[in-house]
Amino acid sequence: MDNKHIIGVFDEEDALMEAVHEVKEKGFRIGEIYSPYPLHEAIEAMGKTSRFAFVAFLYGFAGAAAVLAFMYYTAVIDWPVNYGGKPTNAFPSFIVVTIIITILTVTILSLLTFSVRAKIYPGKAYILPDARSTDDKFVVIFDKSLLNGKQTELEGILKGKGAVEVYEKELKPEN
Amino acid sequence: MYKTEVRGPLILGDKNYRQISSDIIAPIDRPAPLWWKGVFGLGILATLFGLFAMYQTVAKGIGTWGVNNSVGWGWEIINFVWWIGIGHAGTAFSIFLLILRQKWRTSINRAAEAMTVVAVGAAAIFPALHMGRVWLAFYIFPYPNTRGPLWVNFNSPLFWDFIAISAYLLISASFWYYGMVPDFATIRDKATSKIKKAVYGFFAFGWTGSTSEWLRYEALSYVLGGIAAVLVVSVHSIVSTDFAVSVIPGWHTTVFPPYFVVGAIFSGFAMVMTLMIIIRKMYKFQDYVTNSHLDAIARILIFISLIMGTAYATEIFIAWYSGSQYEMFTFFKNRITGDYTFQFWAMVVCNAIIPQLFWFKKIRQNLTIAFIISLLINLGMWYERFNILITSLSKDYLPSSWVTYHPTWVEVGVYIGTLGIFITGVLLFFKFIPMIAISEVKSILKVTSIKKNESKNSSHGQ
Repeated sequence: MDNKHIIGVFDEEDALMEAVHEVKEKGFRIGEIYSPYPLHEAIEAMGKTSRFAFVAFLYGFAGAAAVLAFMYYTAVIDWPVNYGGKPTNAFPSFIVVTIIITILTVTILSLLTFSVRAKIYPGKAYILPDARSTDDKFVVIFDKSLLNGKQTELEGILKGKGAVEVYEKELKPEN
Repeated sequence: MYKTEVRGPLILGDKNYRQISSDIIAPIDRPAPLWWKGVFGLGILATLFGLFAMYQTVAKGIGTWGVNNSVGWGWEIINFVWWIGIGHAGTAFSIFLLILRQKWRTSINRAAEAMTVVAVGAAAIFPALHMGRVWLAFYIFPYPNTRGPLWVNFNSPLFWDFIAISAYLLISASFWYYGMVPDFATIRDKATSKIKKAVYGFFAFGWTGSTSEWLRYEALSYVLGGIAAVLVVSVHSIVSTDFAVSVIPGWHTTVFPPYFVVGAIFSGFAMVMTLMIIIRKMYKFQDYVTNSHLDAIARILIFISLIMGTAYATEIFIAWYSGSQYEMFTFFKNRITGDYTFQFWAMVVCNAIIPQLFWFKKIRQNLTIAFIISLLINLGMWYERFNILITSLSKDYLPSSWVTYHPTWVEVGVYIGTLGIFITGVLLFFKFIPMIAISEVKSILKVTSIKKNESKNSSHGQ
């Protein structure tokens, strides 16, 4: 498959964002933006949202219910032990373990969710258009096949907004 | 949004993004300096000695320790609580300050988290050894077993402790690791040697820094930060219930959970200060860990020190106010005066009085004195745990069971071993992992530093 992309490289966050807004107005579809640190404006411009917090809440809720149910089963149903006449369903003191295990559940499941959704895992073959974007450059890419011959216009906008380099590249997964 | 300009520039020296990456990665590229090799060697020696002491404990039994029927918890539990306390800095720093959106945390959080992981790992050795038959340690997991199945006691603070410590270790380690993923990618993409590119590339998990990654990355860090903030309070509260739930005079108080939590954050911040002064001096990171960073830590230490002083005073007051003769005896005859006077007053002086010197700007800015004070705080915190454990246990309700307690060389050896593990762990971190969170520092550079550096320079010019 032809995977040719137009790559615009910027020195500054502000220049990149100006270019991004401009090309969006002109109707170009941005492939992806790469930056050395999180740019909230760029995430917004890409129209991306995340329901992470809500999912994490569900994990927590399920985790808490599961832990309480487990303790109820072990301490009350399966093998009730009489500790000095105290009730076997010692709900208040079960809460301590419930809190900690809930936090642990949320953490582990959130990490897994992150790994799945952001596709970050060991041994991943990744596509990095310009290796300088993890250092000091801000990079925006466009799929060439979607440009419909408007490549010169796009390059003009990018350069006009202060791109230090605009070039074409075939993207290949690295390992 | 209001923009208050409380702090000066956080990053000095008019850095650009490229300089930040190369400055912070530099120690990884350079061969280890001579002092590093020397201290690492000492750390390994200490670790080996500790391993030998642990071998003695496991092979011969707890009888090799100085603990006895009255003082059942000696140096091991003192050191366990001490290390856990030091391990609170990571969460306190990165998580509390992340949630409060304090930008100055970015230069420090990575090192604080590294310290946390190593310190909590060192702490976990003690309860495991204290079980006596450490090869049966897995009994503490609530798993379906052939012993009934006999489940663990979910009402026991000792079980809570196990859960709290292991969860804390797992969570702080994963929080730390995910914070490093973008930085590993930076090292991968700047690496010139193939091996380095492959190794750091593996640990970078294919990170590219695209918006879809950053979006979830930030969401993840706020979710983890938000939920793990509870751990800052819960872990040491649970450790304190090991004591507070008992009926031993001096332990059975409701002030224990907050008192332990504040003490833990106190020793954690002191250790962060120690470590940051070393990093700054040895790796010339003055532009990243500026005087104002250390100043901020010193100010927090003053505040926590005041809380510590108040907690000590409260305990003494309640001992008197309770009208319990046993409480009175423990506090007035076995701590303030009596056999353990030195340890008690060492605790008060190191924790409540000496840190008050930080009120003076000159002392906050004198890094030698600040370094010494930060060490004294951790010494004081060690004495605090000594006080809590030994003074209460050595003389309880029954005078016929009063004993004195001296640690044996095995106990001291295990402690030296954990110090060795801590030192080697921290040094490995210095050498192989970026000590400062590169991507986070870059994200605050513009907002906090460039403009201010400019205005500072122009005002100099006038």
